[in-house]
Amino acid sequence: MLKRAGLITIAASVAALAIVASAVARPDTVAAASALSCKKGVSLGMLAPITGPAGSIGSDQLHWAEFYVTQWNKNKKHVKIKLVQGDTQLDPSKASTVAQSFASNGSIVGVIGPAGSDEVQAVAPILRKGGLAFASGSATRVSLTNGSWKGSFFRDVPNDGVQGPTAGAYMFSKLGLKSGDSVMVVDDQESYSTGLADIVGQNLSGKGVKVDRESISQKATDFSSLVAKVTSATKVVYLPFQLASEAQLFAQQLQAQGKTAIVFGSDGTFDSSKFTVNGSYISFFAPDVTTIAADASVVAAFKKQFPGATSPFGAPNYVLAQMYASAITTSCKDGKITRAELRKNFAKVSLTSTILGTPIRFTANGDLAGAKFHIFKIVNGKYETVQ
Amino acid sequence: MNWNLFVTELTAGITHGCVYALIALGYSMVYGILKLLNFAHGDIYMVGSFIGLAIINLFGGATNVHVNVVLMLFLMFAAAMLGGGLLGVMIERFAYRRLRSAPRIAPLITALGVSFFLENAAQLILGAQQQSYNSFSWPSSPIALNGFVLPAQVHVSYAQIIVVAGTIVLVVALTLFVQRTQTGKAMRAVSFDREAAAMMGIDVDHVIVVTFFIGSALAGAAGVFNCISYQQVFPTMGFQAGLFAFTAAVVGGIGNLPGSVLGGLLIGLAEAFSIGYISSTFSQAIVFAILIAVMLVRPSGLLGRAVVQKV
Amino acid sequence: MDGGKDIPPVRAAPQVGVDEWVASHGERREQRAGVLGRVQTELERVPRPAFYLGFGIAAAFLPVFTNNGYIIRVGFDTLLYMLLALGLNVVVGYAGLLDLGYVAFYGVGAFGYAMLASPKFGLHWDTLLIIPVVVVATAILGLLVALPSRRLVGDYLAIVTLFFGQFFVTVYQNGNHISVLGLTRGYDVTGGPNGIPNVDNFDLGGLKISSLQGYFYTALIFFMLALFIVYLVDQSRTGRAWKSLREDSLAAEMMGMPVARLKLVAFAFGAAIAGLTGTLFAGLNTAVFSADFDVPTLIIVYAMLILGGAGSLGGVILGALVVNVSLEVLRTPGHATWIFYVVLLATLLVKVRPWKWLAIVIGGTVGLGYAVHAIVSAAWPSSVGGQTSVGATLGRFLHGWVLHPTNPRIVGNITFVILILAILGLTLLHGWQRRLAMIPTICLAAFVWENRLVVEPSITRLILIGVILIVLMNARPQGLLGSARVEIV
Repeated sequence: MLKRAGLITIAASVAALAIVASAVARPDTVAAASALSCKKGVSLGMLAPITGPAGSIGSDQLHWAEFYVTQWNKNKKHVKIKLVQGDTQLDPSKASTVAQSFASNGSIVGVIGPAGSDEVQAVAPILRKGGLAFASGSATRVSLTNGSWKGSFFRDVPNDGVQGPTAGAYMFSKLGLKSGDSVMVVDDQESYSTGLADIVGQNLSGKGVKVDRESISQKATDFSSLVAKVTSATKVVYLPFQLASEAQLFAQQLQAQGKTAIVFGSDGTFDSSKFTVNGSYISFFAPDVTTIAADASVVAAFKKQFPGATSPFGAPNYVLAQMYASAITTSCKDGKITRAELRKNFAKVSLTSTILGTPIRFTANGDLAGAKFHIFKIVNGKYETVQ
Repeated sequence: MNWNLFVTELTAGITHGCVYALIALGYSMVYGILKLLNFAHGDIYMVGSFIGLAIINLFGGATNVHVNVVLMLFLMFAAAMLGGGLLGVMIERFAYRRLRSAPRIAPLITALGVSFFLENAAQLILGAQQQSYNSFSWPSSPIALNGFVLPAQVHVSYAQIIVVAGTIVLVVALTLFVQRTQTGKAMRAVSFDREAAAMMGIDVDHVIVVTFFIGSALAGAAGVFNCISYQQVFPTMGFQAGLFAFTAAVVGGIGNLPGSVLGGLLIGLAEAFSIGYISSTFSQAIVFAILIAVMLVRPSGLLGRAVVQKV
Repeated sequence: MDGGKDIPPVRAAPQVGVDEWVASHGERREQRAGVLGRVQTELERVPRPAFYLGFGIAAAFLPVFTNNGYIIRVGFDTLLYMLLALGLNVVVGYAGLLDLGYVAFYGVGAFGYAMLASPKFGLHWDTLLIIPVVVVATAILGLLVALPSRRLVGDYLAIVTLFFGQFFVTVYQNGNHISVLGLTRGYDVTGGPNGIPNVDNFDLGGLKISSLQGYFYTALIFFMLALFIVYLVDQSRTGRAWKSLREDSLAAEMMGMPVARLKLVAFAFGAAIAGLTGTLFAGLNTAVFSADFDVPTLIIVYAMLILGGAGSLGGVILGALVVNVSLEVLRTPGHATWIFYVVLLATLLVKVRPWKWLAIVIGGTVGLGYAVHAIVSAAWPSSVGGQTSVGATLGRFLHGWVLHPTNPRIVGNITFVILILAILGLTLLHGWQRRLAMIPTICLAAFVWENRLVVEPSITRLILIGVILIVLMNARPQGLLGSARVEIV
């Protein structure tokens, strides 16, 4: 008896809920599109994979951005900036949740990140709805700047569409690659890597090269089985890895097995403290931060605040924080700042000298203007620019 | 027949298999005694690796080690085994001891909690960056690169020899301990029937502590072994290795020590050969498929004893 | 050795010849006396479904009270977790089967929806058609997974399901070039690391759901329906059969229960609920990637289930709510600090009795903090150069009470390790020694919190989840709303 009454009540209330739901399903309204006073300071959100599979990259990006903000805030005349971190764990659905929290947080005026191209696609609708500018220091998929997010999405690293063909062209022109030769392309099963590997693989096979496309998990620590597959006919091994230490390991095992193939890495492997096997090549969009004399004091100060190793994905986030700081200063000239104002000013920021060693400004679609890749060769453990 | 590929995969498989075998031994021992799947075991392996790295840095860092390499290796193993063992004992004492009579899911979840805690505490303290033993660049060391060349141009590095030799030594020592000493006998008794062993006057707590110590020490040693040949140290390395070692323990028959070693070697070889001959992308899936196949044909593992359920 | 001391005492010493339940009659009557006892009695007379209904209605009011997109999004995520925990409850809580590959079915549901409603294969089916198809497909898959494992018990089942789960994850991650035994060319089924983007929004026969609120209500309705169905099954013969399976599968088999069939049904049921959740996930996120269907999600769902109490529907709701909301709230340093100190004070209030001792502990902590602060800041001025995590009054108090070095990293790391050892040592002491030792430990904890933990909230919240799991399992293995069980091995 009691059970039946309970069942009827449940069924009736579920029906009632359905009615209420359809009546109340109105679209999401935007939080805080209003002006914020600059006096108490403004906040920047940072989306990065701080824990999880890409934790080493994300925490490094976070540290570089935090480093810049700490230095900026030392000057009392500057508008105080607070960096709010959001851990995405390289997972687009978690990135969406954190992006939603940023969009709904009235004190956040701009976002640095997210790091992965998939995450960018996931958070773009949410952040655009909130009117926030978001700039990534490591998302390199070509399609992200096809113009559909003009004025909202920016990145200060060149995309795969520039890096892939540059690497391919160099292999042909300078490394003596010819049609009919063999190349092994290995990706680490992350979207940064597979995207670049696909572009290079297609580029090379389009020119008649036999491409052996391999894939190994980023979590694996032993490449000797893959290395064994490299034959004496393989001229080049292309490794678009995210982690320089993995490229180092691969190259070392290659040498240990006595293979003569040349290792060619991408910008993720650009780290002179980790990837040092002689005779290897790397493509990178800027000169080496640790070798630029002008940067020595910056790098030293960074290491003091955050001791330990760093990665090439970190410095672009320092530059992004720098650009945001400049845009915030411009926007705060009248004492107030809105998200729309910051977006407009951010798009116009142009830095002539940065720690990356190249001037940084954005194209109309949000890409890095004048992006080109340098090719480095490792000689005696040091990186030498060869192109 | 491409002998180069075959023998390279074989040596890689055996080396990896030895590392998995050592970790699997720890899993097996703890399961045999407590029927507990200790998910935190992989993280003890990770801590062992970091302890080894600390010893290297103590002696000047990888590129300018200023003591005899053999002495340093010995110290690394000793410190990693001691540190790993102590960590294992502490985990048992504070996380698992109260749960001996609780439903089995409680210690399982606690183990997951410990694993979570260790991984993230390691990231907090040591940073998320991948660090490296850089054993190939130890000055004047015969490790790794300067191996010798077998026929068919296969290079075998000294690091791999050390791993295999060290594993053999440790496994033999363990077998002697379990078969010949009083404590070893007590361990076997407790894993057979805990209550009866207690009634026979065996101090069960003491035996459990010793088991955890030895199992975790082996995991610590495995950490150092892995890193002198494969270099990479990072806070989340325990999960992947733990998963494979767990597979190995189960394939060989969990609770059975020779089975764990056999399982470890099998899984190492399976992984190596599937990367080499079938596909590097699906190597993990193939290993798991092997496990499932073994479980279906022989549910208690290759060398395991079929468990008789008592009413 | 000291085995007896740490094990919590049994409720009432069993008397010979008297049934335990009968013997504790007096104790139960005492509990019913007084106001709280009366309230408890009345609450127990209310049928359970009324509570679930109450929850449903309260949840429905959330988007009415707030317009904040983030809160509604967190609510949606919590509902998804509740659904997952509900399905897992059927498998683990009712049938007692340790399923460690559960999130693979979540993935099947999500990818299934994505494949049927996106430009990937050019299919754009109506959601009202997709959901039953996906749910049935997932159930069948659950059946297939359970089929080889029906003879396995306990840990072996856990192992096999864990590996099925990992197998699925590998397929999702590398599904962009699946070739059958290397003979056919690679087929792109799941999109690999790039996933399946541009998934259609829910289209329930003309009613398009594209807003956060819309998805929140859809998720709530699905959850209430699933809860309703699981409750009915729980009260039915199958539910009772599952419980007998959980308690002692051998005895159940001898009593004539079709054990193998029950296991299959439980697996399929849980898998179906996971598949349903997957469709909701895909609908809101409009893109599906393999990252969400791996072990970390599994651990979180298990944590929610066990925290709430396996086998209890109310526990599912409570566990999911507590864990997910905690994880989100702990992202912000300001909130996290408040919670930390409130929980600390609450624990002291509950655990430290009599009041005299409470006053000593709190007074001592505050005093010690100020003393150390005064001494150290006089000797090393850089030890107070840092920033607190909260502003206003609490911040000012903390600035004066706890040291904030300008470069806290290395000191913080060392003190973190010392803190862990101190807390472990605290559990070894008893009586007045423990209470006195609390004083420096709390000061140390505040120091580590302010300087190291709260500065990296993303890592800290995971550390805290790990710690909560360890502490909770040791203190109350049955979870918050579960009932204590003795397992027959």
